[in-house]
Amino acid sequence: MVHLSDREISTEIIDACRVGDRDAFRTLYGLYKDQVYSVALYFFHGDQAIAADITQQVFLKLINNVTQFRGDAEFSTWLYRLVVNVCLDAARHRKAQPPIAANAKPEAFAGPASQEQDFARAQAADSVRRAVSALPAKFRIAILLRYFEGLSYEQMARALGCSMGTVASRLSRGHRILAERLKSFEGRRQ
Amino acid sequence: MFSRHISDRLAAYIEEARDANLIEQHLAECERCRAEYVQVRTGIDALQHLPLAVAPASIWNSIESALVGSPKRPVFSPWKLGLATIAALIIVGGAYWIITRSNARWEVDGLAGSPVVGTQHISRAGRVGAGEWVETDARSSARIRIGDIGSVVLSPNTRARVLATRPQEHRIALAHGEIQAKISAPPRLFFVDTASGTAVDLGCEYSLYTEENGSGLMRVTRGWVSFQRNGRESLVPAGASCRTRPHAGAGTPYFDDASESLRRAVDDFDEKPGADALTEILAGARVRDTLTLWHLLPRVAAADRGRVYDRIAALTPVPAGISKEKVLNLDSETLTHWKDELAWTW
Repeated sequence: MVHLSDREISTEIIDACRVGDRDAFRTLYGLYKDQVYSVALYFFHGDQAIAADITQQVFLKLINNVTQFRGDAEFSTWLYRLVVNVCLDAARHRKAQPPIAANAKPEAFAGPASQEQDFARAQAADSVRRAVSALPAKFRIAILLRYFEGLSYEQMARALGCSMGTVASRLSRGHRILAERLKSFEGRRQ
Repeated sequence: MFSRHISDRLAAYIEEARDANLIEQHLAECERCRAEYVQVRTGIDALQHLPLAVAPASIWNSIESALVGSPKRPVFSPWKLGLATIAALIIVGGAYWIITRSNARWEVDGLAGSPVVGTQHISRAGRVGAGEWVETDARSSARIRIGDIGSVVLSPNTRARVLATRPQEHRIALAHGEIQAKISAPPRLFFVDTASGTAVDLGCEYSLYTEENGSGLMRVTRGWVSFQRNGRESLVPAGASCRTRPHAGAGTPYFDDASESLRRAVDDFDEKPGADALTEILAGARVRDTLTLWHLLPRVAAADRGRVYDRIAALTPVPAGISKEKVLNLDSETLTHWKDELAWTW
């Protein structure tokens, strides 16, 4: 997996975005779309429709506000702060809504080239998805940002608006809950 | 060495080797923290099983659609920005007026025979705008291109009217007959009104048949469709169907591979809710049929709700955070949470 921290966002791309260059937006979108979509997809329990909606909202906000980005913070931190805010806003909004669709089929997570042929691997992936889905929101978003984006604890603290100690605590607790859920899934299978 | 337990520091130690010496000293002497270390390690390792999902191509199309009309924005000085804002308001206002007041017209392809578009018979191609009808007879069929988000094929003997062609609302009314819709756009941009309710696209392919009185059937082949009427909603995933009824709206959805007896019992229940039909549904339900059972929770009599809950619980473990009491009281958040968990099996 390519982590965000492994990629270089050139200042030329950001500058071109700031003057409204659609090709530059497209490039930026291409660099981040799968990571943003994945975070939203796993955060919302595999609901493809909501994940697509969240991804669209994030990039529209990014495009509409990129002129405000002054380069005094890392671009990725700014982007993932948007992701966190849009995800948490949508989660709060959903609580007030009657039941809506949930695209939670395992195929929702597979790209066109990722036909899972190994049954054991598919089963393991399914268990992990379910366990992540069951995490409380604040642990879930922290774990997804760390795993899919490879953000440092410092970047995560800025994106989540909390201290690095809180990030460390949420990740530790989240992983422990994850392990307990996985253990209970294994118990049910046996 | 840390004198207190180090539970909250374990992820940072494993992932970034923070405070490594102190933590390793503590782990050497604390059994509880060693057990928790194993748990955190297991959690971190498990994430390697999560594949990166690929964002659908339709998202960028939607972003571009949303950007239509917003001009490139060079960085201005403040006074130029003020002038530009006024100009932009005029342009955007004009564009909005054009988009909302004028009828964007969709292309129609004749697939067989001579379908009627508006008042004209067409053999190959035509265009249809808001307020106009497209009609096929026993020997004709047609395809309407729904802007740039998908298409709808009208089978023979079908009559449909275009109601809205706006970027945020693509809507047709199906008077009678059958359509096959194929939409690749964010959810809730495409709607089909019928006499018994509205099919709301959630990113999908489906067929919808209706008679003039609203009796019909919706069958989903990809993604999800929501069928709604007066606050009652049926969520129908790929591989499932739901009947529609005049004045009653969406029937209870069921998977097409469910047993014939279950499907018949669902029809009976929707027609006239009763204990006998419910008993048959509960008896014939598989794990996957929790789709049907979950939808029944608010539809059965309060006295029967516990039976539905118990049957779902017998088919698949009840997740943490779901209480029977809240389900029986139809707590919206609880039902949503449970549906999200059950949907893994749908």
